[in-house]
Amino acid sequence: MTEGGHGRDPSASSAEDAERLAAMAAGDAQAFASWLADMEPALRASLQPFAAVADVEAVVQETFLRVWHGRGAIEPHPKGRTLERLAFTIGRRLAIDEARRAGRERDVAAWAEAELPALERDTSPDPHLRAWIEHCRSRLPKKPFAALQARIDAAGARRDRELAAELGMQENTFLQNLSRARKLLTACLEKVGIVLSEVMP
Amino acid sequence: MSHERDTMIEAVVGAYRYQGADGRIRPAPAWRDLTPEDRVEAARQAEVQRRIEAELDPGRLSTTAHAVLARIRR
Repeated sequence: MTEGGHGRDPSASSAEDAERLAAMAAGDAQAFASWLADMEPALRASLQPFAAVADVEAVVQETFLRVWHGRGAIEPHPKGRTLERLAFTIGRRLAIDEARRAGRERDVAAWAEAELPALERDTSPDPHLRAWIEHCRSRLPKKPFAALQARIDAAGARRDRELAAELGMQENTFLQNLSRARKLLTACLEKVGIVLSEVMP
Repeated sequence: MSHERDTMIEAVVGAYRYQGADGRIRPAPAWRDLTPEDRVEAARQAEVQRRIEAELDPGRLSTTAHAVLARIRR
């Protein structure tokens, strides 16, 4: 798992924008992976207002898949940041569809007219944060650690039921261990002054 | 927060999502059982969890990103 982003701001220059579009149009999955790493936090954050009416995780994945499958027909935006604009637009449209299905028509107009999120942000990796997360993870009790690691290793490709069975746990116990792992990790990080929800890009 | 509520939320925090025969990604079944407040909480926890995963990954990819990449390579 060595592919991915290098901390480049997703608000790339027009030249970078065109370069990335061309690479993706040619089927370069590495270029797509790099963009995913930079873009995911911003896309996810932009969808939080819809979280009560749409499963944000499903919308994020569907958005990225649509960008990839439509890559050959994407026209560069004159102001650059083509892929970012496209992802925000697709994500919002998908979430609004869900809102309509949930009978939230009254809120849809406001959501549809809201500005796209700002793209100026620092997406550089934080070596200190990474080191502290590693430190706190290493201090987790055995079962919460194992549950957390199983989900990371599964990389979103396997159901919790299967992961739990491999660890010899009931699914409910597996979920409890995950919940405990995150609480302990969060508490450990807070002891050294890191509040994850405050350091999101 | 009760254990029961914790586990219901946790079932939604993971990145696994079923992809239907039409290619669309489906919401987690457990998501429909959550209250609106708990859906918001699940999304907030997923945001934190993806950040942790990305920080631990050599390529800065979360499990969501890996799941998407696996699907385009199939």
